[in-house]
Amino acid sequence: MPRPVVKEITFTLDGREITAPEGMILVDAAGKYGDTEIPVFCYEPKLGQPVGACRMCLVEIEGIPKLQTGCSTPIRDGMVVHTQTQRVHDAQRAVVEFLLINHPLDCPVCDKGGECPLQDITYGWGPGTSRFIEPKRHFKKPLELSPLIAIDRERCILCYRCVRYSQEVAEDYQLVLQQRGAASYVSTFDGHPYVAPFSGNIIELCPVGALTSRAYRFRARPWDIEGAGTVCAGCTAQCNVELTVRDERVLRVLSRDHSEVDDGWLCDKGRFSYQAVHAEERITQPLVREGAELHPASWEKAIEAAAAALKKAGDRAAALAGGTTTNEEAFLLSGLLRDKLGSSHLATGVGGEQPLDVVRALADPKLQATVPDLEFAHTVLLVDCDPIDEAPVWDLRIRKGVRRHGTKLVVASARPTALDQNAAATLRFAPGGAEGFLVALDAALSGDAGNLGGAASAAGTNATAIQEFADALRAGGEEVVIVYGDRALRGSAGRALLNIASRLNLANVANAGLLELPSTPNGRGLREVGFAAGHGPGFSTISAPGHGAEAIASGLASGDLHTVWLHHVDPLRNYPNRPAWEKALGTAQTVIAVESQLTDTVREYADVVFPAEAYPEKEGTITHPDGRVQRLRQAIGHPRAASDVPGSGVRALWQVISDVARELGHSAGTAIAGAVVSKRVFEAVPFYNGMTLDGIGGRGLRWQEHATFEVEQSDPFVLAVPASLPAKGESELRLGTFRPLWAHKDVDLSPALQFIRAKQVVELSKADADARGIGEGDRVEIGNGTRIPGTARIRAAIPAGSVFVAEGIAEHNANVLTHGIVEVHRVGPGSTDATSIPIQSTPAVEGRAEMPPSAGLPIPPREVT
Amino acid sequence: MPYDPGDDVVVIHQPREGAASGTFRAFAATLKGLKMTFSRAVEGTTTIGYPEEKTPVYPRFRGRHKLHRFEDTGLEKCVGCSLCAAACPADCIRVVAAENTPENRVSAGERYAAVYEINLSRCIFCGYCEIACPFDAITLGHDYEMADYNRSDLIFTKEMLLAEPLERTPLRTPDE
Amino acid sequence: MPANIDTILFKDIDEPGLNTREVYERRGGYEMLRKALKMEPSAVLDEMLASGVRGRGGAGFAMGRKMSFIPKGTMDKYLVCNADESEPGTFKDRELMQKNPHLLIEGIIIGAYCIGASKSFIFIRGEYDYVADILDAAVAEARAAGYLGENILGSDHTIDLVVHRGAGAYICGEETALLDSLEGKRGNPRLKPPFPAVQGLYQGPTLINNVETLMNVPVILNMGGAEYAKIGTETSTGTKMISISGQIKYPGNYEIELGMKTRDILFDLGGGPLEGRTFKAWFPGGSSSPVMPLTEEVLEMPYDFDSIAKAGSMLGSGAIIVFDDSTSIVDVCYKTAHFYRHESCGKCSPCREGCNWTEKMLVRIKNGDATPMDLDIIESVCNQIMGNCLCVLGDAMAMPVSSMIKHFRPEFEAYIEAKREEAGFGVAIPQTNRGAHAGPGPLLQPAQAA
Repeated sequence: MPRPVVKEITFTLDGREITAPEGMILVDAAGKYGDTEIPVFCYEPKLGQPVGACRMCLVEIEGIPKLQTGCSTPIRDGMVVHTQTQRVHDAQRAVVEFLLINHPLDCPVCDKGGECPLQDITYGWGPGTSRFIEPKRHFKKPLELSPLIAIDRERCILCYRCVRYSQEVAEDYQLVLQQRGAASYVSTFDGHPYVAPFSGNIIELCPVGALTSRAYRFRARPWDIEGAGTVCAGCTAQCNVELTVRDERVLRVLSRDHSEVDDGWLCDKGRFSYQAVHAEERITQPLVREGAELHPASWEKAIEAAAAALKKAGDRAAALAGGTTTNEEAFLLSGLLRDKLGSSHLATGVGGEQPLDVVRALADPKLQATVPDLEFAHTVLLVDCDPIDEAPVWDLRIRKGVRRHGTKLVVASARPTALDQNAAATLRFAPGGAEGFLVALDAALSGDAGNLGGAASAAGTNATAIQEFADALRAGGEEVVIVYGDRALRGSAGRALLNIASRLNLANVANAGLLELPSTPNGRGLREVGFAAGHGPGFSTISAPGHGAEAIASGLASGDLHTVWLHHVDPLRNYPNRPAWEKALGTAQTVIAVESQLTDTVREYADVVFPAEAYPEKEGTITHPDGRVQRLRQAIGHPRAASDVPGSGVRALWQVISDVARELGHSAGTAIAGAVVSKRVFEAVPFYNGMTLDGIGGRGLRWQEHATFEVEQSDPFVLAVPASLPAKGESELRLGTFRPLWAHKDVDLSPALQFIRAKQVVELSKADADARGIGEGDRVEIGNGTRIPGTARIRAAIPAGSVFVAEGIAEHNANVLTHGIVEVHRVGPGSTDATSIPIQSTPAVEGRAEMPPSAGLPIPPREVT
Repeated sequence: MPYDPGDDVVVIHQPREGAASGTFRAFAATLKGLKMTFSRAVEGTTTIGYPEEKTPVYPRFRGRHKLHRFEDTGLEKCVGCSLCAAACPADCIRVVAAENTPENRVSAGERYAAVYEINLSRCIFCGYCEIACPFDAITLGHDYEMADYNRSDLIFTKEMLLAEPLERTPLRTPDE
Repeated sequence: MPANIDTILFKDIDEPGLNTREVYERRGGYEMLRKALKMEPSAVLDEMLASGVRGRGGAGFAMGRKMSFIPKGTMDKYLVCNADESEPGTFKDRELMQKNPHLLIEGIIIGAYCIGASKSFIFIRGEYDYVADILDAAVAEARAAGYLGENILGSDHTIDLVVHRGAGAYICGEETALLDSLEGKRGNPRLKPPFPAVQGLYQGPTLINNVETLMNVPVILNMGGAEYAKIGTETSTGTKMISISGQIKYPGNYEIELGMKTRDILFDLGGGPLEGRTFKAWFPGGSSSPVMPLTEEVLEMPYDFDSIAKAGSMLGSGAIIVFDDSTSIVDVCYKTAHFYRHESCGKCSPCREGCNWTEKMLVRIKNGDATPMDLDIIESVCNQIMGNCLCVLGDAMAMPVSSMIKHFRPEFEAYIEAKREEAGFGVAIPQTNRGAHAGPGPLLQPAQAA
């Protein structure tokens, strides 16, 4: 879809000729090109069309008798604007006076005080005193709008920002304005808590202190704090954030608006899970297992133990990396294993390994879509992924495209996604049928009727549905962005995806292409710096490829591999097939773990534990799924150990790996500073060549824009029909898993997010539920042999025969179920305690019925005193 | 021709030689001086016996800070707004606020100062904190005896600032 | 006034059964629709333009011009009849719709045909429930007779009409708020531009007109636009329904030719003041028009759009509210402010806070807790509201209130003094120093001592 074309025009602002792009909103043009600030409250371009409610931006335009709102007036050639006349000043002063008559002026106790637009505008444009001597409007305050947000209705100036955000950006349709006139107030319709995946953004949007963060409540004033820009490493979306730091503690996370990454929004996980950084439970010093127990140890001892184990293991050592692993750490660790120990058993994702030619072809810059493409493409195709759980801000980005630019969304997934309501076409296949779907879609696009039927039934759907879906995909236009999760890439799925891309001619269409959703935040970076079994830095070929994750588990279990280094990885929680990993880790001679808390993996199996850095403590680079190399900047110091002996606390992980390498006599793998490692990464990866940390700066650098990466072009692959899914009995269901947004160890440790911690839910279709006598909220058990309990949740959009359970959660994790075919039984009625019903990350999937139930939180009715 | 300075030179007449004038010259000036000394001696002492006695200070003297409570309810006036810290040119005030709860109501507002520290070894007693305070919770008192042996003891906490000034200067006991 | 057109809309209005199709057709109803369908839409538009008929809802914008702003083309276009007659003192549309609903329906169909709309709505105020029932019945009759629905009267035009009951908010009489309410949203005015003629209901071009205006459409077609333009004055053509209420002998609905002398309206039609009273002031066009004292000059003024505008008020919806010397102007002022404070939607700040503040000050005046200084503040607040709001509701409060203070300041000041005495606050001095509340210089002019 063509991006808007801008034409320069000239208009007059306070007697000066200003040149600006045509159609730009006057407030923006005056600020950006005219160096004139026009005050605004309700205007926020990110929220869509201006509403002109606050009337703060009134300006005089020659030829129009009434004052006009600058926030809604696009500039035109030859327009003459006055912002400094007495008439404008009077109007602005009047509006400030009006806004302040019902504003309590409790700035000293207000969290917004000092960074409050209302304060600033009052100082700049207000009358200085008030003539209002009547009693002000009173509401009971402060109230919980949700467990995360406090609302103070007295301070509200009714600018509509939060309501518009809820209605038009997040599209959860929860916030509304109640009553009218001077008695209006913001609330949810029936007073239930405003719980949504993106609710925290309204705190940043609020131009007064009406909506404040409960987690940040009274923690600091703006002059007590420092802002530290970095990148949130909580998920793949890698939103740019600014951390609010006071006394070496992160107190708040704000968005650092980057239109090509996050569009200025954050999810609540990214916004509130910073509390885990300062959790009591954090491991702050190395631990070494002596006998059956883990004991605190000195760094020297821990490094010695780790080095000895690795030396002993030699090429029988393996390493897994994930989580917040930086490119630098991955580069050093893969170098240590590959160059010193001769082992290429390096795995990152939970997905299967693809052949090197597919990996290289998927990294082709020509096929690479970017995040803004999600918004402007003709068609966006989601393949077996739900952005709200894996890269939440992409969900908002896609919604924005559909709402404002007419982007067509088509969704093909096993589990219904949060975006289904916005989709022009949806296709449901059976859990595990992604490979079959991709092969079938390729066949449908190429007109290969033979493959189509077989592959469609292997995906658990039928040829007609796939053909209709393919037609819908083609109908929108040539700019197609395909978003796929790396979990979908099993077997021939990668080749099928490449085929689809070539059939849609994505390589030759600008603003179209593929966008991967890796299962680990820095998945792309780890791969590109060579932390992979099959290739070296920059996808270079290596002589002896190693094992992938599944093979590492079986190798450890069988004794072929001896030692495993778990870098920010918790296989028992985050990898499929927990029993296999329990066996693997139990059999392994040494398990070296880099971890921030005592997980099951650490407590039961780790022999050497290095304390992990949290992302605000890290220095290094990570790579966004669209190839943007971004910098993590250290915002706070490393925590000290309990003993408080200097140097005994958490250390930088590049330094730890470097120390282990030194101990092993691998001088090439040692470094004296993090920046040295970064430099080495930029030299080792061909397409990172020429990058510098300064060049990356705060906005990141997409390597595709500066470097080339040649991929040998091949004809479309000839694909075989994948094996059909295992048969299931009449009473059995096909098991699919999903990873809820809140299934993260940092959420578990953040006090503010406890109410929304992911618990096990068993999602099943109405038909299957009825057949088993299961009602919404009932307690059920699911499994085949091994069983786990959960709460039943009936969703209309799930096809009969499939059931979905959450993985990656702390208790009753789905990864203990090793069978793809399960049975579900009701064990009892649901709890009457409303708080026990898990709140899902997808509040509005199928309309209001799926809105989170009122969690029984104390939101008293409005009281006017 | 001999040199004649003319009117430019003032001729000074030497005192006359002699015993009486010599004696006068030797003692009279001294006695004159002593007259002043002895006359002051009978006036009594004018120095102050610090520390037993203290110089009165002017009413607007800016000494050690005090935090105040409401007299009726006993709640602290300070709400922990940190405006004093913002105003402080020496950056010697640190405030960490917390929220009042119905069980633990400390101040009259929504928040209170959980930590309120003034580093008096840095303070320049400018009084800006007093001006900045929107609740008249902090004032500068008349207490100026703050010397101590340890820098860290000069960091005054909220409890110390709320309490009456300590008698810090050692006094001579009556039998000393 | 030519004898044959002394009443147009009110012609035979009290004929029994006029609200049924049978009687209406017997009187020549729906003939104009047949005539219109034989004409080109542009020819119908030309008649409307020639008639010069101005909107009867309040703003007085020429209807033909409004129609001509609707873009040509095949997009979804809408016609909405604004029957949300909520302005205090206005009750003309109720009688018209109640007694002659088919004339409105015919007008809507012709209007919709003229602009090319296939869907039209009557947004009727929720309190007019029984009128809505009458309209519903009439619409059903018209649909059964083939005037509404697909291929009306055998032509290839499809025009449908829906009667939608409002939920009882004054603001929904504002055209964009009405559209929002019709779409099922909260009835809040929208930012203009874009005007409804370009982007209205469901983002489509929309023509919104008052009941009376649309009822004039068949009449104009019958007489011919040029002939219609001969009635009334040059710029205010046609007849106007006026609703006279207040302290007057014969309140009620009257149809007058525009340009009639005010004295004739008030004394001949209205019958003059009640026994032993004299007229004091009037709202010439509904409670949102500035109040004018009924001086000899005003009584000589012709009642038409431009003359009243020249005199500093507006014709508005033609609702004349008269009050006599027994009424305290302060009470009128408070009632007016209270109404608009209650009906403000709260979207834009000057109206939301300004109406609220003004009412609070008037309450203080009534309680004896005010000084003449407060009159200056009220005036200044009203000035700050006027022209700065999103829609005209703020102006609708500010204009009458400030006009009352302007014309009756001595009465206000005497009232304040008396109330202060009563409340025991003592005599107020106009230049009372109100300390920190005195406000910045230019906004505060000391009151002239009475």
